Amino acid sequence: MLDSLARLGRVGIGVLERLGRGHLLLLAIFVGLPDLLPRLGLLLRQIYSVGVLSVLIISVSGLFVGMVLGLQGYYILSQFGAEQTLGVMVAASLVRELGPVVAALLFAGRAGSALTAEIGLMKATEQLSGLEMMAVDPVRRVLTPRFFAGFISMPLLAALFSALGVLGGYFVGGGLLGVDDGAFWAQMQAKIDLHEDVYNGVIKSFVFGLVCTWIALFQGYDCVPTSEGVSRATTRTVVHSSLAVLGLDFILTALMFGE
Amino acid sequence: MTESVDTQEPLVRIRGLRFSRGNRVIFDGVDIDIPRGKVTAIMGPSGTGKTTLLKLIGGQLRPSAGTIHVDGQDIHRLGNRALYQLRMRMGMLFQSGALLTDINVFDNVAYPLREHTDLSPSMIRKLVLLKLEAVGLRGARDLMPSELSGGMARRVALARAMVLDPMMIMYDEPFTGQDPISMGILVELIRALNDASRLSSIIVSHDVQETAAIADLVYVISDGKVIESGPPEAMMNSDTEWTRQFMQGLADGPVPFHYPAAALEQDLLEASC
Amino acid sequence: MHNRTVEILVGAFMAAGLVAFFFLAMQVSNLSSSGNGDGYEVIARFDNIGSLKVRSPVTMAGVRIGRVSEIGFDRRTYEAVVTLRIESEYNVIPDDSFAKIFTAGLLGEQYIGLDPGGSDKFLQQGSEISLTQSALVLEEIIGQFLFSKAEEGDSFE
Repeated sequence: MLDSLARLGRVGIGVLERLGRGHLLLLAIFVGLPDLLPRLGLLLRQIYSVGVLSVLIISVSGLFVGMVLGLQGYYILSQFGAEQTLGVMVAASLVRELGPVVAALLFAGRAGSALTAEIGLMKATEQLSGLEMMAVDPVRRVLTPRFFAGFISMPLLAALFSALGVLGGYFVGGGLLGVDDGAFWAQMQAKIDLHEDVYNGVIKSFVFGLVCTWIALFQGYDCVPTSEGVSRATTRTVVHSSLAVLGLDFILTALMFGE
Repeated sequence: MTESVDTQEPLVRIRGLRFSRGNRVIFDGVDIDIPRGKVTAIMGPSGTGKTTLLKLIGGQLRPSAGTIHVDGQDIHRLGNRALYQLRMRMGMLFQSGALLTDINVFDNVAYPLREHTDLSPSMIRKLVLLKLEAVGLRGARDLMPSELSGGMARRVALARAMVLDPMMIMYDEPFTGQDPISMGILVELIRALNDASRLSSIIVSHDVQETAAIADLVYVISDGKVIESGPPEAMMNSDTEWTRQFMQGLADGPVPFHYPAAALEQDLLEASC
Repeated sequence: MHNRTVEILVGAFMAAGLVAFFFLAMQVSNLSSSGNGDGYEVIARFDNIGSLKVRSPVTMAGVRIGRVSEIGFDRRTYEAVVTLRIESEYNVIPDDSFAKIFTAGLLGEQYIGLDPGGSDKFLQQGSEISLTQSALVLEEIIGQFLFSKAEEGDSFE
């Protein structure tokens, strides 16, 4: 009885320690920001590997998600004779929810896991330790640029996802199923609000970008520096990021759209 | 750089060092003096925490008790900035080389210069090429670290550790896993660099022959304690049985060949049941 | 990968992201009709606002000219105090205009419609619209309808 209590306590303390280390790391990453500004080249290179390399998967997924939404939405809406509102349905679900969330999930799988593996391997091959011994702070030089690259890339990727999704929905709805062009766009423009829908979606994607990149970097930086440790950390990155995105999405939606 | 400290003072002075990881005690009261301008070897069986010792000297780990003075400064009492200042004057050669894998050899060696100095690109180029020449790899400057052999990677890392002209270089197992030729090159290099640039070197190793060949002073540590210290020749013929076993590489001695276990007969009988 | 290629690709990526964002802002939502910040606020009091919400549209002749920016409650008069933010280009609305709460469709969202009055003074920042008509609450209408039917029935007897 006491043993199991003690085990529970140990697990709790372990979780708290990790959380504490994670927050300290985030703080250290932010402290490194002024140091990053004169070295925008580092940031650029990371935006390339975090953002540019994710464009393909994000665009293709966005297009297809939009097309599926157009198809499904049309079948349901046409039963009520309301297929003119297809544009509203497609755009609202993309801009509010699917754009930020699905883009973040894909981002965690594509870029987050790569970040964790990269940092973990740098740790395992003593590169981080080596930087430290060269009197270079690895957090500032390695983690900070990657963090801000993720933070900047995520909203852009989510916007790409949503925009291509709307086009995909238009292509299916307007092009294949014969929803009236004008009604599609006009209804959409009348009902989708820049603040309520678009800006809130962008805020969401900033939050998701921060959380996903943070989790990925922390898992890499905190991993056991062996090949097994790195692979576990990579798995944890994807699992934790996905759960965090879905949980946070619920909270943010409740805060933003709840009355 | 002001030589405020008496040069007779040891460069690194370790007193009463204790360090444990979890429940495992790694150092239990270690005293070591690393003299200036000499090659000091710290030897011991695998798993005695030799790498940990280097990390303690470099200030990457904190001891649970005891002090480490480097060039007269207590390294674990320094603020972050002073610690980084001091680290610029220490070079460290990691076992794997620890080169940054996303930039080429030239940029790796130039990295500390670009980080810590305002030298012009042409000046950096000259310095880097000189250091690469010293390790014989000037021609390999455009290769990526993944294209280097293990020995070459270590030599590049050595050039990088040297590029800021440090007062000391710490070598973590420099000879492990090297073919005889690269091993010979490294042995030569370490000795030559030490004498040419008035460095102090610390070598952590369990390769007795190579290390003894270039060391001026040897410390043997085991089970968290310094067993013996002295010049390598004296150590080879030490009175202590343990040291002799280690230095001469005998299979059995005070360190038993067998890991502690129940008697063989008993184990076999149990297995047959 | 050369530095220049990286720079070009990152530039293209950021440009694409921004274009996507502007597409969402301009084409999907409607940036021009949701002006904010500029404009002026006027107050209207209603006995009952139904399900009117902050950001509900304010229209005149069916054209959206502003939004509800705040809804409060007057504790002395038990009235709802609704603040309307009207875009600055619509600055010639007579101050005796009539504010009514309408419902879009039978069950749709509620909005405020302004009927112009005849005054030659115009609404300004802080003006109050004194002529208002509350929201029609469906239950009340049905209740009144049934009540009047019942009365008709009585008179026939």
